[in-house]
Amino acid sequence: MNLGITATQYLEQVKNGSLTVEEFIAKTMERIKKVEGSIHAYISLNDDAISQAKQIDKKLKAKEKVGSCLGMPISIKDNICAKGMKTTCASKMLENFVAPYDATVVSNLKSQDAIITGKTNLDEFAMGISTEFSYFGPSRNPWNADYVPGGSSGGSAVSVSALECIASLGSDTGGSVRNPASFCSVVGLKPTYGLVSRYGLISYANSIEQVGPIARTVEDTAFILNIISGIDTHDNTTIDKGKTDYTKDLDAGIDGKRIGIISEMIGEGVDKQVASATSKAISKLQSLGAKCSEISLDSVKYSVATYYTIAATEAGSNLARYDNIRYGFDFDVEGYEFNAYISKARKNFGPEVTRRMILGAFVPSAGYVGKYFLKALKVRSKIKSEIEQAFKKFDLLFAPTVPVLPFKIGEKIDDPLSLYLLDINTIVANLSGIPAISIPYEIAQGLPIGMQLFANSMQEKTLLQAAHALEKTTNLPGVPI
Amino acid sequence: MVKREEIVHAANLIKIDLEDHEKYIEQVEKILNYFDILDKASPESESFVIQEMPLDKLRDDKYVPFNEKLITQLKNYKETFVKAPKMI
Repeated sequence: MNLGITATQYLEQVKNGSLTVEEFIAKTMERIKKVEGSIHAYISLNDDAISQAKQIDKKLKAKEKVGSCLGMPISIKDNICAKGMKTTCASKMLENFVAPYDATVVSNLKSQDAIITGKTNLDEFAMGISTEFSYFGPSRNPWNADYVPGGSSGGSAVSVSALECIASLGSDTGGSVRNPASFCSVVGLKPTYGLVSRYGLISYANSIEQVGPIARTVEDTAFILNIISGIDTHDNTTIDKGKTDYTKDLDAGIDGKRIGIISEMIGEGVDKQVASATSKAISKLQSLGAKCSEISLDSVKYSVATYYTIAATEAGSNLARYDNIRYGFDFDVEGYEFNAYISKARKNFGPEVTRRMILGAFVPSAGYVGKYFLKALKVRSKIKSEIEQAFKKFDLLFAPTVPVLPFKIGEKIDDPLSLYLLDINTIVANLSGIPAISIPYEIAQGLPIGMQLFANSMQEKTLLQAAHALEKTTNLPGVPI
Repeated sequence: MVKREEIVHAANLIKIDLEDHEKYIEQVEKILNYFDILDKASPESESFVIQEMPLDKLRDDKYVPFNEKLITQLKNYKETFVKAPKMI
């Protein structure tokens, strides 16, 4: 059985009766058990997956109504709540937390008869770009297990790439869907802020994060976006734009589209092989009829400092609630004074979360708020305004997703600033709220390179059409694992 | 220039004990030095947009009972109370 089929192929095969849900789910769970030892995509698995598959087969046989996913195996990042399953955020502080409710995105998938395979690994509380900061140990890149899979939704990207599910949900605060999608040669979308509900996504930086799909193809990504997007009364930052079918007219092409190549994201600091792949991708876009020219976005050079100032401040506030009293790890309250207990318990946050919380306490503090936090908010407004201006001249913007190839596990772990600087090509989309997608483009020295397209707010349809056009110009090998 | 004791003070405010964490202080100092790049940014205006939610957009302030067994998911409780460390 080919577990590497796309969502579209899966649906066709289940519909025409050449595949049962039970056999596909059983093989998927078998595959997970076989490869997990070497790649560690999952933190926990759904023990009821096969019995849920049987139920869907039964409904299909009885010609009862079945949701549009037809039992498709989908994994969920472990910072998104799924009722009755552990939701740990890859942190010791939540290692025993069982979510009492479904996130809206999870209930949307369940209502369409998706089967949740399990909860995937991430950098603790989604803070990182390598999945090395998980309390449960790093995930590994299926293309070469000595290398990082990217992050923070590393487990989600690995699970799709290594054929342990058909699609996954991640969250993207500064590139956390697109970065691992690029490093693992899969598609990853960060939707417009407000297009997808954040209810049930454990908060890190509320004003910038979004849940986004990771899948094998742009068409599969559009299919998942159809299911998870839309207004939600539980998240009042969601925007009511009516329902759009993102899978429709995907073949529209990019003839005549004006594409701006962001100068600050293709020059200094970009690896030679990434630069070469970028040039080739631009030529392909031109050959498809797009009009490409460079655009300078001056504020990009301040975006890393802006992003980390705002994200750390929001993280400091969001993570203040974790005191290990209501849930958490086993540590008795007896014999401790209230504050002493909390300080001792909070020592169990991992290194990256601790660093960001300290930053998050410092940058908005009295005496420094004007220098850091308020300045960052002003620069964020400037970035938004530059992006608005850019979309008056262009339909889409373009850059490589990450300026470098995947790096070795442990290579950068002691230099947090060098890791932060690798976010430079992705965070602009989060700071301005616009959608962006990473498309697998090349394999260099056995390691994946992804290309990124950005569109104006709520222009996911245009974005997916362009991504689909670029995707069709590639012919990439299958994952070696 | 940021003083080390200011970083330690900020950590204490969010209940993180930094007594033995020299490495964290050094790393945070280095990151804050990088953030100084913001001094060079010249925002077009002194204003910025923050997310505001008009009152009429908030959902109704209605009591919605949750599953009463919810408390059993807490790790340390007695009847309907959460057990916490003593305050003094």
